[in-house]
This record gives sequence, structure tokens and C-alpha cells, in this order.
Amino acid sequence: MTDNNRLSVPYNEPVAVECQDVRLTVKKKMILDGISFQIPTGSITGLLGPNGAGKSSLLRILAGLTLPDSGSAQIFGKPSGVDRLGVLSMLPDRANLPGWLTVEQWLGFAQGIYPDWDADKAEQLLLQLSVSTEVLISAMSRGEEARLQLLTCLSRKAPLIMLDEPFTGVDLISRERIASAVVSELADGARTFLIATHDIREMELLFDRLILMGEGKIQGIEDVDTLRRSGKSVESRYREVFA
Amino acid sequence: MEQSYELLPEQFQINPSLPIYEQFVDAIRGRIVTGLIPPGSRLPSVRELAAGRSVNPTTAARTYQELERIGLIVTRRGQGTFVTLEEAVIAEARKTIMRKAVLEFKIIAESLGLSAEQMLNFDKEDSNDRQ
Repeated sequence: MTDNNRLSVPYNEPVAVECQDVRLTVKKKMILDGISFQIPTGSITGLLGPNGAGKSSLLRILAGLTLPDSGSAQIFGKPSGVDRLGVLSMLPDRANLPGWLTVEQWLGFAQGIYPDWDADKAEQLLLQLSVSTEVLISAMSRGEEARLQLLTCLSRKAPLIMLDEPFTGVDLISRERIASAVVSELADGARTFLIATHDIREMELLFDRLILMGEGKIQGIEDVDTLRRSGKSVESRYREVFA
Repeated sequence: MEQSYELLPEQFQINPSLPIYEQFVDAIRGRIVTGLIPPGSRLPSVRELAAGRSVNPTTAARTYQELERIGLIVTRRGQGTFVTLEEAVIAEARKTIMRKAVLEFKIIAESLGLSAEQMLNFDKEDSNDRQ
């Protein structure tokens, strides 16, 4: 039972992500207005909020792709930045994979790009997410391409996974497959997930923590178990905050 | 060993407004007590349970911890998790379910201003009338 015990006490583990008073303005518009939170290692945290809340901007700052105006973002105790890209794997919103490659060619390419690429894991995820290898990426449906993007993201050994709207344009069956793949990834080690989404129903059973964001501010940080103990679901809490 | 039973029925509905591991514990306890999951059965791993239901692995781990605490399942190092072979433990879990059901029954009776016995007598008369 050592494995099970370890999973049940994630809050005693070190902090995976920490933001302190992060602020970002773009063209005089306030995008992030003093964001502070922590995510413990091993958590599946949902970053929830309506469109325009600043979720993607926050993820880009954590990934080191955007610099905040002020405040600090840390990944496993060190400031975000290009040198931290090795410890995080991000599925960006509206990403494009090279359409002229087949899946197999793309995976060969990805193996060359990412030093932490796990080819066995990629093989396993191809089956799990039913992605076929001979197809041209440009000929794939949106759901298939989304699954391939997730596969690319999860085939790395990076201890922090950030997914930005993994379900956009994805059909129900693909959503279930994606959710299930995320779970089995988490269960096999001390990986931490931060998932930005407004599709709450598919994901609400997965989250153990919520960060509710609206208008560039934190509107609430919740422990999901505590919510359920008070008779609330993730969805009902979301409605309470944003309705 | 191939699994010949279902840990939870395929159409098991999770209520997202209540702690999920408690719902799992209640359902699995019921299925062990009624023999739907036979004594000695090997249970899926925490990971399989979590992935199969798309729940947080902590939920699955807690479910097993709770079932283990009440003695209905045992973990054998390196072999996996199994339903207990001890009939006394299963009988005790059966009593727990009975106590809970009787308590709920009594609460309803009380809310109607009746005793549990009056409710049972009513049932007897009622079924005689219907025959």
C-alpha cells in the first residue's frame, strides 16, 4: 500500500507551482491582476474560469513564454523561464502540428526535439488514445489531432503537465479517452497536472483542487473533497462564483 | 487471474456533490456482502480503478484504504489487493449495512408518527389485502 498512501497525502509534498502577486498588462488592458497561489506536487488542479479570465496568459507565464510585469512565478522552487522548459510539458491552446507530416514522422521528429521523450510511453498512448500512425496530420479530424497533441504532451517525462483547453473541438468519446489517459498518467508517479478548461463536466471527477479565475483575479481556491463534504460539486461551485 | 466480476456496475452513477470515495466504498461493500464480488477475488489496481472511472487516483486510493480499514480487502505485498476470505468480517460488514437500513427505516417511520413495528404490521395487512 505504499503507493496508495503516497497518493493520499499530496499536500505534504513539495510545491510544484507557486505564483506571487503576478501582474500582466497588455496594451494598457489589465490581464492578470495580482495572482497568487500554490499547487502541491502530485495534484490535479483545475484552472477554471470563463473565456477572457486570463487562464492562457497565466499558463504562458508559468511556461516562461511570457514575462509578467511584476510578481514571481516558480516551478519546483525555481523561477519560470526557458531553462525550466525541461521540467514542464504544455499543451497550448490552438496549437498546430505540422500537417504535411504523418503521425509516425511527427513522433520521430518529437523524439528528436524533446530530450525527455519516452518512446515506449508514446507507443502505449497510441493504443490508449487510438491514434493511427500512417495518417497525414492534415487529414485528421479535430478530435484525432487533439488526441495526438495530448499524446505528444504526455509522452515526455516532465513532472509538470499543463493543458490549456484540452477539449476544444473534441467529441465525447475522445474526451473520455483523454480524461482516462490523464488519470493513468497521474497514477503512475508524482506528476502534477494543471488543466485550464471551461468544460467542467468531463473533468470534475479528476480534480482535487480548483483555482477559480475571473477578470484577471483569483476568485477562489478550493479543495474538491471539502467542497463535496459540504454538498457542493465542482460545477455548482463554479456557478456560485461566476453566475 | 482474469477478473470475472465487475467491481462496480458499468452504469454506476457518481454523484459529483458528495465525496466520491464514500460512494465507491458503499457500492463495493454492498457487492462484496451480497457475493457479487466473491471472497478472495483480486481487485483491479488503484490506477485501473481510477482510469476506468476517470476519477482522481487519490479517490481510488482512499476507497481501498477505507475498505482495507474495515477489513473487507487485504493487500498482499507484491501480489495485489484481494477480497478477504474471513467470513466473520463479511458478516460484520453485512450487519453495518443492515443497521444503516434499519436506522433509515426508523427515521421514516418516526417522521410519520409510527414505530417500526407498526410499519411492518401495516406491510403484513397491506400485502394480505392485495392477495
